This record gives sequence, structure tokens and C-alpha cells, in this order.
Amino acid sequence: MRGLVIAAILLAAAPLGLPPFATTLLTEALILGLLAMSLDLMVGYTRLISFGHAAAYGLGAYACGDLLIHTRLPLPFAIFLSASITGIVGIGVAWVCTLAKGVSFSMLTLAFAQLLYAIAFKWTAVTGASDGLAGIPRRVGPFGLTQFQTRNGYYYLVLGCLLGAYAFCRVLVRSPFGAVLRGIRENEPKTISLGYNTRLCKIAIVAISFMLGGLSGALYAPFAGFANTDLLFWLFSGQVLIMVIVGGQGTLLGPIVGAAFFMLLEHVLSQYTDSWALFFGLIFIGFITFAPDGIWGLFRRRVRI
Amino acid sequence: MDFLPFLLVQCLNALSQAALLFFLGVGLTLIFGIMRIVNFAHGTFYMLGAFLGYSAAHLSGSFWFALIAGPIIAGGVGAAFEIGLLRPLYRRGDSAFLMVTFGLTLVLGDITRLLWGVDPLQISLPNALGAIVFLFDEPFPTYRLFLAAAGIIVAVAIWQFLERTRLGLLIRATSQNAEMVHALGVNVNLVRSGIFGIGCGLAALGGVLAAPMVTASLGMAGNAIIDAFVIVIIGGMGSFLGSLLAAVLVAFVQVFGTYYFPDFALAAMYLLMLLVLMIRPGGLLGKEI
Repeated sequence: MRGLVIAAILLAAAPLGLPPFATTLLTEALILGLLAMSLDLMVGYTRLISFGHAAAYGLGAYACGDLLIHTRLPLPFAIFLSASITGIVGIGVAWVCTLAKGVSFSMLTLAFAQLLYAIAFKWTAVTGASDGLAGIPRRVGPFGLTQFQTRNGYYYLVLGCLLGAYAFCRVLVRSPFGAVLRGIRENEPKTISLGYNTRLCKIAIVAISFMLGGLSGALYAPFAGFANTDLLFWLFSGQVLIMVIVGGQGTLLGPIVGAAFFMLLEHVLSQYTDSWALFFGLIFIGFITFAPDGIWGLFRRRVRI
Repeated sequence: MDFLPFLLVQCLNALSQAALLFFLGVGLTLIFGIMRIVNFAHGTFYMLGAFLGYSAAHLSGSFWFALIAGPIIAGGVGAAFEIGLLRPLYRRGDSAFLMVTFGLTLVLGDITRLLWGVDPLQISLPNALGAIVFLFDEPFPTYRLFLAAAGIIVAVAIWQFLERTRLGLLIRATSQNAEMVHALGVNVNLVRSGIFGIGCGLAALGGVLAAPMVTASLGMAGNAIIDAFVIVIIGGMGSFLGSLLAAVLVAFVQVFGTYYFPDFALAAMYLLMLLVLMIRPGGLLGKEI
């Protein structure tokens, strides 16, 4: 807990001491961290391995982009509305995907994300097809607030969202509901026989995970100023899963570390080589084989000994 | 064009499409049925097959040589991967396989890009296959007829292999009770590596066969893995006949869907999958889960 407060203070002070491009990089890392954390609710706590989490990210980003371009909604409202929309879509996705279990669930989430990807290419009016949505503004407001339009102001908006989402997830996984989720992870038939409606619980956690993933996508659209079909691509879904596993599944904080680690790695690697996928893949295989607990697990083990 | 000839031509189109889908789906379902491994890299082996086929055809000047060399090399890569990376993970859960094969997808995809570059590559057909025949006075590519025939031949061959040969018997036994087979003195690890190699080789065969129609490109892998998953889900995980049935169903939905509702053709495939899952969650011929 003490480490957490120190980390929060350090993150809050970061823009004051960092050069501007580093603040931008850190903002993106936090956005991806939020996405990875939302996926961790499914993967780490309920063992619902979703291979289509890019769907949540892309949905949130497109929704937020359209809201900002076509309405005069203030920035924070547009972001939260987009997250809610994604959460509602998530209920439908969850209802379908939880028809299946295990690996079939993974495939269904992947198929759903691909369906959205195909729709995004066709539905030009809403998604701008292959061009994507460009020139997404950061609208003023509410009450004429202009702070979020600046680089540092936006960083604090993202940081606030991440801390709020983390607090929410932490309470959630420690609640009785969280205990049921872990029950599903360890032994679903037993959890059913204890009288829990596990399907309903799974639908709830997928919808919540989608909502937070949508929040992260909604934060990305005005940050980058554009949204395109890359955000929905299946390889991106896989990358987010990599961040969760490499960071440490079932820890909430681990996936954030994993996301930051990969942002940094991609930034460094892209200066020397364009084969980042090769190194991503090798590092990922290495972690799965030798360190299934991820960076967070390695760190915890080191500290305990 | 009259309705009956039109129907026949479209059916032949669908059958040739079904053959390609079957090559994709059957390897995945064999690997899953026998090893309980979901091979995420399956689409990548399909793509690898197309590129290997291109090089083999280019170097030897023979499409027939490419048809043999491509799948064998890709199958070898698959078997090596199974021995090196999957074998240590047998004591872990299903998801470890899914993720490690995803890692392989990234690595193989990038290696393919480094070796062959980013431009799509065209395989040229021998004259006998590149021609056009006339069915009811309508031109129809010979190659599509060849594909449909190849699909039927390979399907019958796999079926006979599994039912009639000693190795097929061992494979079926391993899928039911690997420990017992091991206790009877069979090298189960070797059977598993072989199956993984054969599955990847079948995907690569599909890739070589698809390449003359769609060119070998890096984008193949993504589409292929989705198609393969859809077929395996509809047919039932691990069911050989199921994958055959699903490939035919999906191909007909794709071909006729593209003709009648061009904008919704892709969605039709997913709707079919949804319908099957709601009626039979384990797939058409799969076990109830």
C-alpha cells in the first residue's frame, strides 16, 4: 500500500520533471496500462482468456471520436459516455461469448473483434472506413474548463481515470463478487454447485472489463487525435494479452507495469530495428515458458527472499 | 443465364472454396482433438505454406514440386516447434498453449516478412491448370475444379489413414487415453510431434493451393486463423467429419452470401456460427460441453 502511494505521487509529479515527449509517451503508457488492467479482470481473475480485447478499445475510441466530432459534448462527458456505450455493447458480447467455455470462448471473442474490424471497414459514415476518423478535437468544458486541452492537463485526466479505475477494480476483486470470480477461475462446476449463477457473473465481469477497456480507448482517441481500424486489429488484441501475461496476471498492477514495459521496449527497439514483432514474440514465449507469473511475480519473489 | 446452370457453377465455386477451408480447419481440429492444443499459429503456417510454395515453384519451375515441398518444410517447422517449445508445457493449462502459439505467430510472421519482403507474390500455374473450361457455355477456371477434386482426395485420404492404418489407430488411441498408449510401449511424444507436424503441413498445403488465386501475402495469416477457428467451432472441436461438414457449410454461405447480399457476406458466416452455438454449444458434431 505504501509503495502504491509513492508510485502515485511519483506519477503525479512526473510531468513537472520530464521533457514534453516523455510526458506524451507516459500518457500513452498509462492509457495502455488501463486497457491491460481491464483485460486482467477477465484473464487473471476469472480465467476468461479474451483474444478480442481490441474490440473494447476500438469501440471506445470510435464512440468518443464520433461524439467529439459530431456533438458539442465536453471532453470528459464524451469519454465517460463512450465508456458506458462500450460497457452496454459488452453485455451483448458477453452474452454470446459465454455460451462457450475454455478455448472456444477465446475464439468467439476473437471472431467478434474481427466482425467489428470488418464492420469498421464498411460503415464509412461512422468509422471513416480505411481512412479512420481524423482531427478528433479536445472540446472545451465542462464550465469552460480548458485545462484538459494541454499536454500536462490531459496527462492528469488520464492519470485520474487510471487511479479511479484501479481503486474500483481493487474493491471489486476483494468483494464477495470477486471471490465468486476466483471460484469460477479455480473450479467452475464447484462454484455452480455452491449455488452461484456463474454465467451471470461472467457476463457481468466481461461487461465491466469492456467498460474499462472502452474508457481507455475513449481516452486514446482525443489524445492521438485520430481513430482507425488498427485499434481493432487482432494482433493488437494479442499484444494487450501479452502485456497482461508479461506484467503478471491476476495482480491488476502487473499488467500496468507490463504495458509500460512494452511501450518502452517498442520505443527503444524501433530505433534499432523494424522487427519488433519478432522480439515481442520471443520475449512473450520466454515469459510463458520460464516465468508464468510475469514481471510482477519475479519482483515479488525477489522481494520475499 | 438460366437458374440451373447458375446454381451448378456456384455450387462448384463453393466446393472449391470448401476444399481450401477444409485444409485449414482439419489440421487445427486434428491437433486439438488429439493433443488438446489450440494452435494459434495455424493461420501463420497457412501463410508460410504459400510463401514456401512460391519459392519452391520459383526455384524448381514446377507447381507440383511446390505442392509437395511447401507442406513438408512447414510440417517440419511445426514438428520442431512442438518438440522444442510445446513439450515442456504439457503439465500446464490449455491457455499456456494458446499463448505460446500466439508468440510463434508473431515470430514466424516477422521471419516471413524478413525472408520474402512485404509485397504479395504470385505463383504461376502450369498450363493444364491455368486454363478455362466451359460449363453450360459459361467460362469456369479449371483450377477451381482441381481444388474441389484435391479437397475430396485429401479428405478421403485422411479418413482412410485414420481408420485403416496402424499409425491412424495409434493416433486415435492417443486422443482417447494417452497414458494407456504410453504404457503399451508406444512413444506417445513421437505421435504428438508427428500429428502437430501433419496438422501444420495440411494448413501449408492449403496455403500453397490458395496462393495462385489470392497471391501469397502477409495478410493471409489473420484471415486464415479466423476462418479456421470458425470452422472448428461450427464443426465441433476435434471432430474430423465436423470440420468437413463445417467447411462445406461455411463455403456455401460465403459463396451464395457474396452473390445475394454482398455487404453482409462476412456477417453471414458469424451468424451461422452463432446459430450453431446456440443450438449445440459444442459444435455440430462435437461433444457437449
